[in-house]
Amino acid sequence: MGSEPGLRLVHAREPADVDVLVGQVALGDSAAFEQLYDEVGSMVYGVARRVVRDPARAEDVTQEVFLDVWRKAPGFDLERGSAKTWIMTIAHRRAVDAVRRNEAQKKYDEHAGVPDEVHHDAADDRLIAAEEHGAVRDCLETLTALQLESVRLAYFNGYTYPEVATLLDKPLPTIKTRMRDGLIRLRDCLETPR
Amino acid sequence: MTADVHTLSGAYALDALSPEEAAEFRSHLEGCAACRDEVRELRRAAALMGAAEAEPPPPELKARVLAAADRTPQQPPRLDLRPRERGAQPRRWRTWVAAAAAAVVVAGGAAVTVDALRDDEPVPTAVEQVFEAEDARTATVETANGGRLTVGVSPSRNEMAVDTSGLPDPGEGRVYQIWAVHGTEMVSAAVLDDVEAGAAMGMPEEDTEVALTVEPAGGSEQPTSAPIVQVDPRDV
Ligand SMILES: [Zn+2]
Repeated sequence: MGSEPGLRLVHAREPADVDVLVGQVALGDSAAFEQLYDEVGSMVYGVARRVVRDPARAEDVTQEVFLDVWRKAPGFDLERGSAKTWIMTIAHRRAVDAVRRNEAQKKYDEHAGVPDEVHHDAADDRLIAAEEHGAVRDCLETLTALQLESVRLAYFNGYTYPEVATLLDKPLPTIKTRMRDGLIRLRDCLETPR
Repeated sequence: MTADVHTLSGAYALDALSPEEAAEFRSHLEGCAACRDEVRELRRAAALMGAAEAEPPPPELKARVLAAADRTPQQPPRLDLRPRERGAQPRRWRTWVAAAAAAVVVAGGAAVTVDALRDDEPVPTAVEQVFEAEDARTATVETANGGRLTVGVSPSRNEMAVDTSGLPDPGEGRVYQIWAVHGTEMVSAAVLDDVEAGAAMGMPEEDTEVALTVEPAGGSEQPTSAPIVQVDPRDV
């Protein structure tokens, strides 16, 4: 593989707290691990809760995620992305795996009316406090209806893209593309200075 | 795969591919820097979307998680190579071990299998990045136990890596351990749970060599046997 100029440049930036904490955890610092839990525990639990629904299973997922973080922190490389993204990527993957192990839950979700689930409803606003979270909410509103449904059915309900295509009765390539351009739009919106 | 394989990046970042497709897409990522960049960015956006759902966990979960971590070994930590040197900035000897054996911990009455995640591993691995760097130089040396060790260095990355796949099995209950040797001081750099994976690390300072010993499972604080090989990465 050739080198990729720019890809691995270390940017001169002040690491965010979570990055610093993960660096300390990498050295076996259990006090830093506790701080890290305080810092990102509600994000990890929140996404687990949203995806797996059941609170007890969300707790199990949260524990699995933090054990992964503890074990793998020594191998974490800031050049590949922020620690927070790393942790949330693990959290989502673990939550989706838990859902996919449980087909019964999926069927329940289908009958419970998934399409309602994918539209914003005011009740969900209980979660939104920080400015960044408001930004996500605002930016999600810039997605087309189909982009939003595709992204949310995959991310929050743990459906694969062929399952999303079936649920929304759309061709596979359309859903695949909407997931990508929906996320690109979200990314671009979030990166726009506000 | 079809020509529009790149467009799977969104579904991949959302964990919406089947395990088979995800594996295929990961092979694609190894050769496609554009997709790697895109996946990184799209995952960040997805992570922010997930973070917006933050909800405080039940308070009792914290003690359970901390206790479980207490019982769980970490992958080998990065080490300060010369922590006792006065006036010098502590320098991190960064190591990455690409794969670790699965560990099972029992927590809250339930067995939780903690295995290597499929998705968050480096693509390509840190070891491969060193060996595949444009300015990579490699040297293969014989080891005292009849194996071969290949050392790669990349000045542009300021990193080195060892390919340990040519080493014989260390034997029941034994592991290979990598050491940084500076004068009479030897500091553990990594315990190799998986010889196929090798290890990558930051280029050590001058006068620091790299040695390999066979140690009891789990590794040792200090070597308990003579090195089977010792190399100066600057000679590679
Ligand atoms: Zn590509």
